[in-house]
Amino acid sequence: MTSEESEGLESRTESIANEVDETTAAEAKPQSPGSQLEEVTVCTALSGVALADLSHSQLIDLNQNALNDLVPNRPLIEGVEPISALRAEYESGSPRFRTQIDGLTDAGFRLLRRARGDGDCFYRAVGFAFVEQIFGDQEQDMAVASALSLLESSLEWLDAVGFQRLVYEDFYDTLCGLIQNIATPEMNGSVLTEATLLDQFQHPEASNSIVAFLRLLTSSHLRLNEEEYSPFLFHPELGEPMNVRDFCENFVEGSGKEADHVQITALCRILRLNVKVAYLDGRSDTVDFVDFQNDSTSKRFITLLYRPGHYDILLTDDGSPSAAALV
Amino acid sequence: MDARLRRVNKEIADCKNDKTSNIHIELIDDSPFHLKGSFPGPEETPYEGGKFDVDIVIPESYPFQPVKMKFITKVYHPNISSASGAICLDILKDAWSPVLTLKSTLISLQSLLCSPEPNDPQDAEVAKHYTTSRSSFEETATYWTQIYAGGPGPKKEKSMAKPSERDEIAIAGLDKAHVEKFEGIGFERGKVIDVLRRLNYRGANAAQITDDRVVEELLK
Repeated sequence: MTSEESEGLESRTESIANEVDETTAAEAKPQSPGSQLEEVTVCTALSGVALADLSHSQLIDLNQNALNDLVPNRPLIEGVEPISALRAEYESGSPRFRTQIDGLTDAGFRLLRRARGDGDCFYRAVGFAFVEQIFGDQEQDMAVASALSLLESSLEWLDAVGFQRLVYEDFYDTLCGLIQNIATPEMNGSVLTEATLLDQFQHPEASNSIVAFLRLLTSSHLRLNEEEYSPFLFHPELGEPMNVRDFCENFVEGSGKEADHVQITALCRILRLNVKVAYLDGRSDTVDFVDFQNDSTSKRFITLLYRPGHYDILLTDDGSPSAAALV
Repeated sequence: MDARLRRVNKEIADCKNDKTSNIHIELIDDSPFHLKGSFPGPEETPYEGGKFDVDIVIPESYPFQPVKMKFITKVYHPNISSASGAICLDILKDAWSPVLTLKSTLISLQSLLCSPEPNDPQDAEVAKHYTTSRSSFEETATYWTQIYAGGPGPKKEKSMAKPSERDEIAIAGLDKAHVEKFEGIGFERGKVIDVLRRLNYRGANAAQITDDRVVEELLK
């Protein structure tokens, strides 16, 4: 991981810290509904303030709260929509967000696929884009075969770090079954389509199984490459260095634990993905892209849209995830 | 078969096949999602020799969300509610992950009995007892293990016979002489036990609490 890549660490740290705070508070006083009330007060207090005046961590809070409100009604991952829909949401907010969205549109990203803001959004978005990329590959059969062999060889790492087979085999079967189905018809003769792919990722059992598998892959990679990653492992709340085992148990393996730069770096490496993350943070007029380049033989990449505390998928006009302007 | 059922069946089988862990899981009723786990109290602790039963409920979204566990057997421990059996343990809450299993979680409960965390208590009164007078706490925990979990009772006991009736003063972890003192003033035993337990009237701490303070509480 480069120092540039590690810069984003701080930003995500805040939102996780908030989540942890809430949980701890709720546990400490289970009988007091006060913690919930206090939080509403904080949100209300912020509403009269111009977005541009808020600190970065306040922005994350605000964004995460807004996303949390939406959680119950949103699918786990959504159909494609024009990015203008996102722009409209910022109509009454900071003009900088609108300028940044216009910049993305000019760069060719006119479509957006949202993931639910449940803490799993990074893994779910990458999982979806990973399968979609295989699906859209010109040499589909080869892409399927190489993805399946990559995943099969990864089981060694899971065993090496001591995960029980009964813990991961169902998750693995779910992801592999989906990829297999791109090329091989199921018993009823159906192969994977864009529609069934979306359907599978919206189905909680399949979708969460895939997220869980990607989390275990990430964890095993971090654990097996401890020397390389340990300088970057910090407790998101306390800022203290953590050992890799504690980090993985508390901030990688569990459902809903948000991904930070360390986890992004690890997962993109494992899946050999080229990923660009566009930072839509309202802090400047342009959008910064951070690259995670892991396959020099391919010009394809997946583009994620990062807003404080959340990831969605960006797509170009033709639905392809790569924008020519950025290659 | 849905994923949850498949996983739970594997976990139950895994536990059955493992003869070394001493962890047992059985069905409580017809549902595979409501189970009873049990394990022996760890050695060299007040829980040694007892058998501890745990009520297990597998939620709909298992293994993505944590299993729900509480003690069926009454346990005297800072992180376990002496009244309800509710457990304060991070992996049953926000530190849960799908890597954990019923067996590994029950093993974690067993370790919790070895290493109480009085700073993060589930039962504040028991935690106070633990931090202020450890030996008296251990006597009480041993007594609870004996009467509720089938434990052997205190090691230095002159007679190894089981107490014929449950001693409510010992259950509350109090000193018989203390209770009798306030009973002597004319207060009812149950009330005295209740107040002294709440005040943590034990060991060195008892000297810190004046008789007037106790009487004041008794009169409330």
